[in-house]
Amino acid sequence: MFVTKTFLPRRTFLRGVGATLALPLLDAMVPALTAQAQTAARPIRRLGFIYLPNGVARNFTGINYWTPLGEGPSFEFSPILKPLESFRDRMVVISGLAQHQADAHDDGANGDHTRGTSSWLTGVHPKRTEGADIRNGISADQIAAAEIGRDTAQPSLELAIDLNFLGGQCENSYACAYMNTLSWSSATTPLPTENNPRIVFERLFGDGGTPEQRVARAKENRSILDSVMADLDRQQKSLGPGDRTKVSDYVDSVREVERRIQRVEQRSASDLPDLNQPSGIPERFDEHVKLMYELQWLAYRADITRVVTFMLGRELNFRTYPEIGITEGHHGLSHHQDNPNQLAKYAKLNTYQTELFGWFLEKLKSTPEGDGTLLDHSLFLYGAGLSNPNLHAHYDLPLVLVGSAAGQLKGGRHIVYKQETPMTNLLLSMLDKAGVRPEKLGDSTGRLEVLSGL
Amino acid sequence: MVHNWRAAVCVAGALWLAVASVSRAPIQAAQTSPTPSPVPAAQRAVFKQYCLSCHNETLKKAGTVPVALDAESLWDVAGNAATWEKVVLKMRAGVMPPAGVPHPDRPARASFLNWIEGELDRVAAARPNPGRTEPFHRLNRTEYRNAVRDLLALDIDVSSMLPADDASYGFDNIAGVLKMSPTLMEQYLAAAQRVSRLAVGAPAPAPSIEYVRITDDLPQDVHLPGLPFGTRGGTQVNHVFPADAEYEIRVRIARDLNESVPVYTEAQNVEINIDGVRVGGFTLPGVGAQPARQGGAGNRGGGAAPARGGGAAPARSGAPPAAPADGGNQEPERPQISQIDAGIRVTARQREERNRADESWNLRIPIKAGPRSLVVTFTNRTSAIDESIRLPFQRPYPAGVNIPETRLGVHLRSVEIAGPYNVTGPGDTPSRQRIFSCRPAQGSGGASPAIGDACARRILTTLARRAYRRPVTDADVTPLLAFYREGDSFDEGMQRAIRRLLVSPEFLLRVERDPASAKSGAPYRISDIELASRLSFFLWSSIPDDELLTVAERGQLRDAAVLSAQVKRMLADKRSEAFVVNFAGQWLFLRNLQAVVPVQVIFPDFDDTLRQAFRRETELFFDSLVREDRSVLDLLRADYTFLNERLARHYGIPNVKGSHFRRVSLGPGSARSGILGQGSILTVTSYPDRTSPVVRGKWILENLLGTPPPPPIPNAGDLKPTSGDGIVLSMRQRMEQHRRSPVCASCHAMMDPLGLSLENFDAVGKWRTLGESSGSIDASGMFPDGTKFQGASGLKQMLLQSDRFVPTATEKLLTYALGRGLEHYDAPAVRAIVRSAARDDYRFSSLITGIVQSPPFTMRRAE
Repeated sequence: MFVTKTFLPRRTFLRGVGATLALPLLDAMVPALTAQAQTAARPIRRLGFIYLPNGVARNFTGINYWTPLGEGPSFEFSPILKPLESFRDRMVVISGLAQHQADAHDDGANGDHTRGTSSWLTGVHPKRTEGADIRNGISADQIAAAEIGRDTAQPSLELAIDLNFLGGQCENSYACAYMNTLSWSSATTPLPTENNPRIVFERLFGDGGTPEQRVARAKENRSILDSVMADLDRQQKSLGPGDRTKVSDYVDSVREVERRIQRVEQRSASDLPDLNQPSGIPERFDEHVKLMYELQWLAYRADITRVVTFMLGRELNFRTYPEIGITEGHHGLSHHQDNPNQLAKYAKLNTYQTELFGWFLEKLKSTPEGDGTLLDHSLFLYGAGLSNPNLHAHYDLPLVLVGSAAGQLKGGRHIVYKQETPMTNLLLSMLDKAGVRPEKLGDSTGRLEVLSGL
Repeated sequence: MVHNWRAAVCVAGALWLAVASVSRAPIQAAQTSPTPSPVPAAQRAVFKQYCLSCHNETLKKAGTVPVALDAESLWDVAGNAATWEKVVLKMRAGVMPPAGVPHPDRPARASFLNWIEGELDRVAAARPNPGRTEPFHRLNRTEYRNAVRDLLALDIDVSSMLPADDASYGFDNIAGVLKMSPTLMEQYLAAAQRVSRLAVGAPAPAPSIEYVRITDDLPQDVHLPGLPFGTRGGTQVNHVFPADAEYEIRVRIARDLNESVPVYTEAQNVEINIDGVRVGGFTLPGVGAQPARQGGAGNRGGGAAPARGGGAAPARSGAPPAAPADGGNQEPERPQISQIDAGIRVTARQREERNRADESWNLRIPIKAGPRSLVVTFTNRTSAIDESIRLPFQRPYPAGVNIPETRLGVHLRSVEIAGPYNVTGPGDTPSRQRIFSCRPAQGSGGASPAIGDACARRILTTLARRAYRRPVTDADVTPLLAFYREGDSFDEGMQRAIRRLLVSPEFLLRVERDPASAKSGAPYRISDIELASRLSFFLWSSIPDDELLTVAERGQLRDAAVLSAQVKRMLADKRSEAFVVNFAGQWLFLRNLQAVVPVQVIFPDFDDTLRQAFRRETELFFDSLVREDRSVLDLLRADYTFLNERLARHYGIPNVKGSHFRRVSLGPGSARSGILGQGSILTVTSYPDRTSPVVRGKWILENLLGTPPPPPIPNAGDLKPTSGDGIVLSMRQRMEQHRRSPVCASCHAMMDPLGLSLENFDAVGKWRTLGESSGSIDASGMFPDGTKFQGASGLKQMLLQSDRFVPTATEKLLTYALGRGLEHYDAPAVRAIVRSAARDDYRFSSLITGIVQSPPFTMRRAE
């Protein structure tokens, strides 16, 4: 009754609970990677999207803990971004962009948070509904996953920190799915996020056993799916035409899993790392976040996935951060009322978030890959769907690009775009750098100049 | 300029009424309307006088109101049912006409509403629209767990295998948003593998580790509910042991902020029980007196057992150990408090040894397969505490305060169960008993599975019928048999077949098909088989049992008497706990308790036992209403609740001793009567550091009156906690700032006065008479229609008299029962259920029977 299951111990990451199957992490990983890096014909590009809930500590009347002072190469780090100082030459701070589709349009102020999340990577105004007719647009990460993730076991990962089953935490008239994820594989398919490191681990590496056992299991799963597919065919025949289309989610899922299993089978058994499994959700925010970053690092490193979205919290969440002295709920604090003290406190929280991001970047930077490091071959977007949270403003969004994108990003700059430039233009430019070149995304009007040229 | 913009937003915000709640998606009837009845002049007059003075085209064009209701065509009630249902809802809830504008008198209002509702119901009866549930309804995580439990007699936590489900309309069982994705499919595959192995016990599972972390705010100084008497702290783990084998139980104790094992003067004994039988234990030696310095000032307590191992001296001597630093000081020190290790000197080497003390706390023992209860706990010594000891925090690491361990004795941090090792067999588990209703004639197990074909077919037919919730044919069993035949033995073959069964679309999806005869768009009665699943997922969050399926297969479920007998049986069954936990847990937000972390320095005694007790109280209370078939009104007014000592102390109710929950009568007019007096509700509607009349008011509007207000508009303004000269404002004064701003007033005028009436309960539900400003609390309140009342009891009275409380409860029930959001065309069914339940004082059974016999539940509209 009072048992809280599967919590990870304090200050321990990927701790060895795998008992008999534990090999030291790095020993298992490095040879596989070296081999891979040597054979890789071109640098692998990875895309990551990291989302901050409830905007950042700033208002529009002079207090701004996010935006750097100055433009171009001579900018000065703001307090929130300060933890990223050592990545200066690999980062571009981007100001001025807006996500117009997050605005109310005719749907009322109710939903500003929801839309901030749901349109962040889609540039589409989500349909206001709680029913089966939910509708958004395909998200940038999923466009990328379909291309650069095609050859990996997990085309993309959708990760989060918060629990998403609490009551009354979604804005009225909006299905919770709009706020629970950034990733939409189609206009009607939100991809659920996962916050449990153990489950993420199992997605990446299976649930234990030797590599041979895992491959054998993959084979068995494939034969199960074949059989399930036959079931589905049979079932579809007994359905009306409208209902038949509704089973397509299921059919598509089965097909996609079959493809993923094939990819696993194609890898030789020895490629699969033998790792320790995390056991659950750590209690403290920083430990949880670090563990999730560590899993992303592992996934990138083992080339299991190349595209990740990661939400550091849901909009409207009321988490407290006692470990840094913040005992007000997150959302409440974000409504800073222009009060300088409250803004300063909120900045402390944002800085804390950025420190954790810096920790992750450092890990990527110190992991060699091919002719450089993991970070050199990656590109991350770090930011929020609201700028001034007190106003629920969807313009002048706080956004930073970090990584080298295999030499395609010239860092060390703060670029201020014309106000109201759609954020989707930035997403298109990012996709370009990953070698994916969709014509349009949501409300995009083109590519971001300066950024795209490089 | 800015002002204009804000004014516009204000108006849009003010008139949320017309757009909120009853969903806008109208299924416009294609058919012609039934003969309209003439509109009585009196009703026209009421409408004109009290509604149209604002809701007219002129004011709509001016942007003052979002909808105009003055078109003559509106009086075609059948054609405008969606609009009229909104009118009814707003008026019944008392939010329209708003407070401060003229209201019709009671008889006129009643007459008007009765006429309109009568018209709407008449139209609905002539042209029933039961709505259309989704053709596919994926089991959510809870339902999957329960289905596995009922199918395979295996109760396991699936939250480490499957993701949480997205919610809509306040519930996580809404078919339309329970989507399938590749990742989820992969997880179902993995879960099927694990579940089938656990259930069959073959092939022998590889060793793995179950890790159980004890939350930091679970107190370890007191006896915990469910654990043996004479113990303190610890934990209980329900674990399914997958085989007869050896297992290793690893016990680790909590560290302090420096990751050190705190120093205790007394030896600390850990006991390990399995199913109530002691199987082992460990001892952490006390660091008491060193032989050379025996004696000293405070040799309290005496008689402690010598510590086992570790070589320490008898415990419980207060004298400082050989202290190197200021050892020259001969003055006897004060008796040291055992838990503050700063006061007890230990050498670095001693400390290091202590930190490794639990490294070897691994108990390897043979355990029989099956579900067992593992208890790891501490033997309790005396509970006498030095009076000088204050226990400021129940939790060990107060925010931002780097103080040493404050807990009295050693705490448990984690328990690991590793295994199985040296497996001797699959054992005789409830799962195997459930599955293996027969064994192959000879050579059971070892021989080729072909021998067992007949038996396997029998077993799989039974399982498939339960899993697919319908009669099965050869076509259903054949694919399962194919997997069975791939196994190396009978058992392994069964494991494979079950694994396949668990990813069948017909197991994971509830499917409802239009009958071939159904006319497009026409309502039809769903089959008895489909009805059986609707019933079992509604009341049990699980699959039907054999009896229900059999009744359905015989076509008897459509008989009202049989149906209500089944409902009665199902509610009496233990499985209906799922209804309480899932329905009440989501409707009333009990689930949110898990994420509630009140600020420690303000609520130092809040801890996990209190959090769990809050939840348990409301669950037991709700359960008693259902099981004793009480009126749903008792939810607000019952004169009893369920308490244990911890909770009773929190409520200031005397003479409740011990950690178990028992029913406690509350005095007449007790503030604690009903859910609005329960810590669970009061806490989940508060901020971590203070009460929120807004959140409480919104919760009431949304969950008890069914008229949710929108969230605040951006930049709504500033709520200052202090006045200009720095004096702390009372909560009421703070809330009054809302009223000064027209932007906020329109909604807050409804929310705040409801919430303020509960101000006598603080943010963790404790009774108080002084508020933040140290002034006495003014708990007067006002209903949306302008009626004034006093305090929590006044609020309860208002809600009990409200036209909307029972209908709201019914709407929530119906949403949960159908797994879809309600539409305007469901409103007549809701009214019919409420009307019929009224004749039976709104007993739960009358509401639930009403729901399961209603058109939306028994019928469906064809595609």
